[in-house]
Amino acid sequence: MSGSTGLDPAHDTRTGAPGEVLVEVSGLEVHFPIKRGVVFDRTVGHVRAVDGVDLTIRRGETYGLVGESGCGKSTLGKAILNLEPPTAGSVLFDGVDIASLKGEALRRERKRFQMVFQDPMSSLDPRQTVEALLLEGMRAHGLDTDASATHTRLRELMSAVGLPPSGLKKYPHEFSGGQRQRIGIARALSVGPDLIVADEPVSALDVSIQAQVINLLQDLQEELGLTYLVVAHDLAVVRHISDRIGVMYLGGLVEESEAGELYDVPLHPYTRALMSAVPVPDPEVEDSREQILLTGDLPSPANPPTGCRFHTRCPWRQETLCDTERPQLRVVDVAGSSPGHRVACHWAEEIARGEIERHEVAPETTDESSWGAPRDDGSPFLAPDGPPVP
Amino acid sequence: MSTPMSTHAVHPVHSSEPLLSVRDLRVTFGRRGEQPFKAVDGISFDVRPGQTVGLVGESGCGKSVTSLAIMGLLPTRGNTVEGSAVFDGEDLLRLSPGQMRDRRGREIAMIFQDPLSSLNPVVQIGRQVTEVMERHQGLSRKEAMPKAAELLERVGIPDPKARLVNYPHQLSGGMRQRALIAMALACKPRLLIADEPTTALDVTIQAQILALLKELVVETGTALVMITHDLGVVAGLCDEVNVLYGGRIVERGDRHTLFSRPRHPYTVGLLNSIPRLDAPRGEALSPIPGSVADNLPWDSACAFAPRCPNALDVCVQQTPEWEGDDVVGLRCFNPMGVSR
Repeated sequence: MSGSTGLDPAHDTRTGAPGEVLVEVSGLEVHFPIKRGVVFDRTVGHVRAVDGVDLTIRRGETYGLVGESGCGKSTLGKAILNLEPPTAGSVLFDGVDIASLKGEALRRERKRFQMVFQDPMSSLDPRQTVEALLLEGMRAHGLDTDASATHTRLRELMSAVGLPPSGLKKYPHEFSGGQRQRIGIARALSVGPDLIVADEPVSALDVSIQAQVINLLQDLQEELGLTYLVVAHDLAVVRHISDRIGVMYLGGLVEESEAGELYDVPLHPYTRALMSAVPVPDPEVEDSREQILLTGDLPSPANPPTGCRFHTRCPWRQETLCDTERPQLRVVDVAGSSPGHRVACHWAEEIARGEIERHEVAPETTDESSWGAPRDDGSPFLAPDGPPVP
Repeated sequence: MSTPMSTHAVHPVHSSEPLLSVRDLRVTFGRRGEQPFKAVDGISFDVRPGQTVGLVGESGCGKSVTSLAIMGLLPTRGNTVEGSAVFDGEDLLRLSPGQMRDRRGREIAMIFQDPLSSLNPVVQIGRQVTEVMERHQGLSRKEAMPKAAELLERVGIPDPKARLVNYPHQLSGGMRQRALIAMALACKPRLLIADEPTTALDVTIQAQILALLKELVVETGTALVMITHDLGVVAGLCDEVNVLYGGRIVERGDRHTLFSRPRHPYTVGLLNSIPRLDAPRGEALSPIPGSVADNLPWDSACAFAPRCPNALDVCVQQTPEWEGDDVVGLRCFNPMGVSR
């Protein structure tokens, strides 16, 4: 799809110039209680899904959040929309603290930020026609006052996402996965939002369809001046679509940078490992590049490691600081790194300059019961430094 | 920690006899009141000892049905399987269910996509791993347990003895997939079929599992059939790559040739539609238009023609024939890079 999306910008309530801060998240925490007990629910601990995140999203940009499952990226996305009430911290949306809004005030504000979900089949009501699905949001926000205007608006929405107007009378099951995701996007657009949070918008789609939806999102952004927060695990997709990227690990941001720079000058050990793990569809690259294999799994967010959350798996871990002090996001003075590039690592400069050697890490289990147990020496089979056994 | 990927270089294996030879495999699913659906529509390929062969394609291309048919795991009703799959001189498709059970798990093993649904949730990991050895090697559980611990250690599970008494839900996703690989390796199979083994896993865990599979192939000489939708996974792992579309192989080649000079418009389309982590930013992706719903039947046309940028008139009138052999090949009237 290229050119005009056919959406009349007059329907959109967006104000403000591109580049100004739209969302400002500070000190955001979302903790979920862990309950035990048959009669009385005792809270025995908390899962620290999001544990102190600061970030800003500017109007008109795409902010990408990447990380592995369980790092809290989806929860952060939901907390920004107040779909998940924050435990602490604030989310300023266009100057208004969403976290403090309640009831009708929050509901009215909701038309300015919408969400696109991962699996369109389970996020669209199978018993509603597409027309009813699109109308529901508009009705809730009092946007369908004039029947003929609504009629036009629905057709505009469909054409904007590349679907025929005849689709309005159909049900979600009559569409393919890619088309369903287009309906999900049309639904988010129907109320004219400023911000769209897209949680894994293309990961349920086939690769040839992924590209169609990615291009659609980009065309719509250009046309309507939308702001996106894209949450995804696929680094290549995030890098392609985003202006800035935040890398999350165990509830916190470990690195934040302009998208191209993150790939050129990754500063955090986790970012490096994550990027080296992404397979590239080119045998020459695959054969020559150096892979940083992380050992073990993500530690439990109910019992995160002390100090730097990554120190249990970090191949650059040092004896001091790493396990005692939690590093804050900071700008570092490294060649090729711009002032917008922040990293939460005590040793980022030394690692970037090659002053710290990478070393072996023994795998650690994620089992809560084994926490603090003596470390296993690891399997000799997984130590890829030695020559393969013939 | 570092793994220069080149240590797993491709071995020249084409000289040896095929271990598995699939010829003209067809799987048709009957549909009440409708035309039967040809999920696999004439697929042929060879796998040699120590070789890794990739079957790549999007959902609905028939890659998983191919593997299930070879393993004899399709339901007995509602479908017909034609063609042959000769493994070590025997046609697997002609074996009785009992004969097939003797081979499955011993000579041919399979790893599935979702480790949680392929493990029994109420049986301890140790028992699930020893079951294969008890069935095929006649070992008692007591004899097999130490071997199970060795296997778990070998696939990189820390503290294997403690893990033997764990249930699947107590393991993480990566650990479960490792346990499943341990089960598959228990009887030292000669052929391993991996159906999207890393799709449900995070990239860092995916990298661990792929490294493990590579080492196993090098170490044990097991032949590996890798079924995936991820071209990146194929690029680093497979000696030979088969690209499937609509139930047929449309292009085949060794990975270097296929990725540097892809010829089928579908292969090119796939490569152009994925964002690459190492490509310059800012270039728009060029998706393949339409969807698999637009496919034409292979009987009278090229199935890909309605979505193909290179389509000619002949593409919707005739079936493109397979031009090539069991090493390279193409099924296209108007391949990329050739002007007509």
